[in-house]
Amino acid sequence: MDVITGLFQGFAVALTPVNLLWCFVGVFLGTIVGILPGLGPAATIAMLLPLTFQMNPTSAVIMLAGIYYGAKYGGSTTSILLNVPGESASVVTCFDGYQMAKRGRAGAALGIAAIASFVAGTFGVIGLMLIAPPLAKFALSFSSPEYFALMCLGLAMVVLLAGKSMVKALLAMLVGLWIAGIGTDLFTAESRFTFGNAELLDGVDFVVVAIGVFALGEVLGNMETRESGQMLPVPKGLRKLLPTLDELKACRFAFVNGSVIGFLIGVLPGAGSTIASFISYGVEKAVSKHPERFGTGVPEGVAAPEGANNSETGGAMVPLLTLGIPGSGTTAILLAAFILWGLRPGPLMIQDNPTLFWGLVASMYIGNVMLLVLNLPLVPLFAQILRLPVYMLYPVIFGISIVGVYSVSSSLFDAWMLTAFGLLGYAMRKLDYPAAPLILGFVLGDSMERALRQSLMMSQGDLSILVSRPMSAVMLLLAALILLTPLMRKVNAWRVRAIEEGG
Amino acid sequence: MKVRPFYLLLALAIPLLGSAPAAAQFKPSKPIEFVVHTGPGGGADVLARAIATAMEKEKLIPVRMQVVNKTGGGGATAMAYLAEKKGDTHTISAFTGLWFTNPLMRAEAKITMKDLTPVVRLVLEPAMIVVKNDAPYKTLKDFIDAAKQNPGSLKQSAGSIGARDWLVRQLLMKQTGANWAYISFPSGGERIAALLGGHVNMMLIEPQEAGEHIRAGNLRVIVQISEERLPPFPNVPTMKEAGFDATVPQVRGIIAPPGIPAEVLAYWEDVFARFVKTATWKKYLEDNLFVDGFQRSAELNKFIDEYSETTRGILREGGVKVVR
Repeated sequence: MDVITGLFQGFAVALTPVNLLWCFVGVFLGTIVGILPGLGPAATIAMLLPLTFQMNPTSAVIMLAGIYYGAKYGGSTTSILLNVPGESASVVTCFDGYQMAKRGRAGAALGIAAIASFVAGTFGVIGLMLIAPPLAKFALSFSSPEYFALMCLGLAMVVLLAGKSMVKALLAMLVGLWIAGIGTDLFTAESRFTFGNAELLDGVDFVVVAIGVFALGEVLGNMETRESGQMLPVPKGLRKLLPTLDELKACRFAFVNGSVIGFLIGVLPGAGSTIASFISYGVEKAVSKHPERFGTGVPEGVAAPEGANNSETGGAMVPLLTLGIPGSGTTAILLAAFILWGLRPGPLMIQDNPTLFWGLVASMYIGNVMLLVLNLPLVPLFAQILRLPVYMLYPVIFGISIVGVYSVSSSLFDAWMLTAFGLLGYAMRKLDYPAAPLILGFVLGDSMERALRQSLMMSQGDLSILVSRPMSAVMLLLAALILLTPLMRKVNAWRVRAIEEGG
Repeated sequence: MKVRPFYLLLALAIPLLGSAPAAAQFKPSKPIEFVVHTGPGGGADVLARAIATAMEKEKLIPVRMQVVNKTGGGGATAMAYLAEKKGDTHTISAFTGLWFTNPLMRAEAKITMKDLTPVVRLVLEPAMIVVKNDAPYKTLKDFIDAAKQNPGSLKQSAGSIGARDWLVRQLLMKQTGANWAYISFPSGGERIAALLGGHVNMMLIEPQEAGEHIRAGNLRVIVQISEERLPPFPNVPTMKEAGFDATVPQVRGIIAPPGIPAEVLAYWEDVFARFVKTATWKKYLEDNLFVDGFQRSAELNKFIDEYSETTRGILREGGVKVVR
């Protein structure tokens, strides 16, 4: 009952014209920021923060939160159209989204991304509203051994992301793990693989690797084969630009899967939306009837990760609001903003500041509807970008990529690194190495190493800490099962052949 | 070391500048570039943006301040960037304790504080040691005694090697002979989560960060790392009162590129001397539970020498390779 009265109170706050306006401003800015690679929601919020001091706190919070979840909607656009991940969480969307665009289904992919974002985003808010306090407890019971097991589970996805050759996939993953190891070792303060460059002390930025390997690698590869003046086919007619009923049906499970996995992983302060989207993609492929078609442009391969990275925002709000613990750079800035206004996220926030909490929750429902209404009509418009002739489009992609990377750290060194990773991406395409395992290794490597070493420090070097805790044991077992699947498939194929030959 | 004579001159010149309005000779003529080493939302970034906004509000300088994020290298990128801007009169930056320790530990971080022009010290950030509310330790001594009984089995969730929480731990362990594990987590949120979840036993935390958990009764403060008791915690002893000598301050202040003219340095010193007296700044300190640590350039240079020397000693004893 508390929830319902709270929600009514919240809608009363969120539906005032002023707050509706700010909510719209927030989600609109978020969408734009999400579309632009490099410039992320964290930087945007930090830059707008001083301007919001004149506003009333509730409106300001509603607007800034709008930027946060709005960015997740926009992130998929460039992933699908140009193979340029707009932000780290949209890398997985590239896998099938860009392939769909290649087959002339760019509009459908964008539409599915928007719908998945809406469904999962709303699911995330419902979760935040109903079960925030008990979930916060769950998040706290998660510690280094569990994080290590979760990362193992994520890394096991490599067998699902592999293309034709498992060996090549594993090699690519190892390169990713190695790149993750570059920088300062947190536990000893020693530098690894920096070769005397101060620029490498903090490691390699995710955006540099992802944009280099995906976007630049793709463009370089395409430039060799200049067959048509147009990069990708775009069908004429509005109807063909939207997802078909069959495509939406195929995504039914992906909507649910993305919502649940994204939300649960979002609640954990040490995980993050990139991992959420990888895992939900892996799960989607694992349970699919046609796993072999993943990576060639299946709609559920877009819906699952897009859903996961949107419902993650609802999840991430749980520790932020109920514990005052931020799980990502963006939520850290939101926390800083809250504190500057004298609002204190933490165990007492819902009690002390019900108007704000419920106002925010209600505004997130409204914001998600606004985003859907805002994004769906943009689909045909964005799809037109692909009509541009390649001699215009390719330089534009190069430009966007370089500016995007430069805007993250304002360092030319990163722009050179981008070039290097672009060449790496190109070489990998030529030699038929899949890029996804490299990104997977890179995303998980750092946190996985950290979690393992933290666990061992907690147990004074005793490895059994990893399996003696129930949650971590279950996740490790799952990881082992996933790793065994390709082997079982092989054994099965061999048995079938043996029977056929015998018969 | 090559800049030493310059500083000596400066030290002599400061008393004169303080009284005479010589500072009026220089006036910025275009927006000031305010370099910070963290990304948007990091500690230095938040402080710089607060300063920029307050400067504008109090109309202390005739131009705007533009915050520029030069992230990377644990501050090394920003420091190198400042060094490159030698003689630039329209650039300043916000330094923090990391700027002292990073060049000591990492060969790649080639620029030290003394290669730049320290302008003023602004803030001393206090900290507190907290434990979970159901933990048996009521005082720091309780914790130390428990750590002595089971060497290496108690745990502290913390930041990286060389950070303030590490320095405090090293000092405490050295003075008492106790020993406990130091488990690094990259973000403050993960450190608190590990403590609240009962996976570690204690942590060093900024008062602002811990405030809500203390109010809700989840965490208990056992000691304050501050020269004086902070107003919200009148009943918790300071480190010194508890009988330990481990009051390591977290400093923040303003630094400029090397080789700027003396009148420019004097101008900035003067601006910040007036700035720290404004109501806006006082409220900012109060809101964040920061302690005013204002020092002019000459004193700050002395402080840098002392602090670096102490840190170098602690690092060496802690088995960390000191490179300069």
